[in-house]
Amino acid sequence: MKNIVIGRYVPGKGFLYTLDPRTKIIALLLLMAGTFIIDELIHMVVAIAMIGIILLIGKISIRRVYLGLRPLLFLLIFTFAFQILFNTQGELLYEMPLYYSPLTIGLVALVVVTWMLTKKYIRFKLIYFLIMVALSLFIFSTLNEPFVFGQGAFTVYEDALQMALFIMLRLIIIVTLSTILTITTKPTDLNLGLESVLKPLKIVRVNTEEIAMIISIALRYIPTLLDEANKIMLAQASRGVDFQEGKLKEKVMQIVSLLVPMFIISFKRSDELANAMEARSFVPGQPRTRLHQLVWKTLDTLVIIFAIGFLFGSIYIRVMV
Amino acid sequence: MAIKFERVSYQYQSIDKRGYLAIEDVTLSIAGEGEFITLIGETGSGKSTLVQHMNALLQPTEGRMNLFGIKIDKDTKRQKKVKLNPIRKQVGLVFQFPEYQLFEETVQKDIIFGPRNFGVSEAEAIKRAKEVIKVVGLDESYLKRSPFNLSGGEKKRVSIAGILAMEPDILILDEPTSGLDPMGRNALLKVFNDIHEKLNKTVLIITHDMNTVYEYAKRVLVMREGVLVYDGDPLQLFSRRNIENWNLETPEILKLQKALQSKFNIEIDNYPRSKKALFEAVKEGVKQ
Ligand SMILES: Nc1ncnc2c1ncn2[C@@H]1O[C@H](COP(=O)(O)OP(=O)(O)OP(=O)(O)O)[C@@H](O)[C@H]1O
Ligand SMILES: [Mg+2]
Repeated sequence: MKNIVIGRYVPGKGFLYTLDPRTKIIALLLLMAGTFIIDELIHMVVAIAMIGIILLIGKISIRRVYLGLRPLLFLLIFTFAFQILFNTQGELLYEMPLYYSPLTIGLVALVVVTWMLTKKYIRFKLIYFLIMVALSLFIFSTLNEPFVFGQGAFTVYEDALQMALFIMLRLIIIVTLSTILTITTKPTDLNLGLESVLKPLKIVRVNTEEIAMIISIALRYIPTLLDEANKIMLAQASRGVDFQEGKLKEKVMQIVSLLVPMFIISFKRSDELANAMEARSFVPGQPRTRLHQLVWKTLDTLVIIFAIGFLFGSIYIRVMV
Repeated sequence: MAIKFERVSYQYQSIDKRGYLAIEDVTLSIAGEGEFITLIGETGSGKSTLVQHMNALLQPTEGRMNLFGIKIDKDTKRQKKVKLNPIRKQVGLVFQFPEYQLFEETVQKDIIFGPRNFGVSEAEAIKRAKEVIKVVGLDESYLKRSPFNLSGGEKKRVSIAGILAMEPDILILDEPTSGLDPMGRNALLKVFNDIHEKLNKTVLIITHDMNTVYEYAKRVLVMREGVLVYDGDPLQLFSRRNIENWNLETPEILKLQKALQSKFNIEIDNYPRSKKALFEAVKEGVKQ
């Protein structure tokens, strides 16, 4: 829980830190749009490589981005598996016969039990899980013993594989880009940037300042609330709640007993925040001047040109090639 | 020894690659009964971090601890077979900020939360709740109130009651008297002293009040920038000349003793522990 980095600003140096927040927000949107337009795997890989280069030049460690991606790992694997299993369009790429006999089912059950018993001692749970899945598939596919129950097949179709890789890469790109934005942009700057990017919406009478404020406060408070949750867990653990142990029912109870104070604390927090803002004469909707004005630099123009280039490049490839 | 630290260090993990070393190389041991210890040190010196190790809420990132016979080091968290929960029954920890500790609908439910988790029957737990609420200086009507609508000092008292109801062997209180009125503070300190004297339990109090240290403690621990720089008798601590270097103050009684000594030019016997002792010492001094 401690390592969730969504929305957290991490001080540092590098060109991404000196960019104008408006640039970063617009470039983020353009790049995301670009990745949705791309429909060739190769181009997607190129896009990933480009983002890798951005990270490298911006001196952001891959580890931090990985930490941002980690909460999504489950989702990634799930969508991947879902596509592979249920999408049967396109060319058949690979077929593996599966023999469901008493022997293989028994062996796989054994594998599952071993996994359940040993998983808590293993450090790299995900890799371990994948190895176990591969082992189960291997057992099903190789041991065609006589006491046959039935036979099936594990198939991988071209479209399935492509879609699976696609969705995965897209998710990775989107999350990486937004992680880059929040890591390198101070909440106040983010607020300013959002506000001025949203400005055109004012014409249709949307209160852009408030929206920007809400978004940036929400982003700002994610890590605070996580810290808070952590403290409550410690306090409860010190009064005998055993977060290590517990059956499903107890786990649910534990989560409830965590959520109640979390809600109460967040309401109190928002109350206090509102008071603090009022105490400093914050009046919603009033025009405000800024201590720090955003300055547009040549670098910003270059980045925007690059992002527009990326978007048009992907449109061009999609339409022409 | 019930609690034993061997070169314990703890580093807070943060996204920033460099973690923050909150305590460094601490070695100490605390008996399971009969001690009255105060832990002092500047803001941010690692006091709260240190006591959170004592009931295994935090586990050292370096070094070893032994808590009631259970060995704990940096690998303990991954091995699920080491049961940490029983330690928390034996070492009761009252948090510095009661907000995080109070989460039930009513004060009574909150107080019985701990005992219930450790297998005390509901009737017995409620009986204890009725006792401890009085011990901390509130009356029984508070039991029905919501803990979230209490004043800061009342919250503090309720959070202390919640731990007292667990009847731990070692009682650790993280700044229990901050935010209390002077009368209330003295009354609570007397309660802790009674727990220590009558039940012969070990009590450890984190405080910024040197008078508490001087009047009650038999042993004092001083933290400074994560390092345990002093572990011993309070008398000796305050008789050292360089306590200002540790940003510590001289207790009021000693200030008074020094003032009297220089004002009336009399010899007052070393380090009186209480007002009464000071009075006696002054009498002695005047006689001579
Ligand atoms: N969850 C955390 N993550 C990172 N650093 C932390 C965390 N909690 C505390 N620290 C840091 O560790 C150091 C020691 O903190 P600790 O709370 O133990 O101090 P303390 O001595 O109890 O101070 P105080 O007298 O203000 O209560 C501080 O510098 C603090 O910034
Ligand atoms: Mg503290």
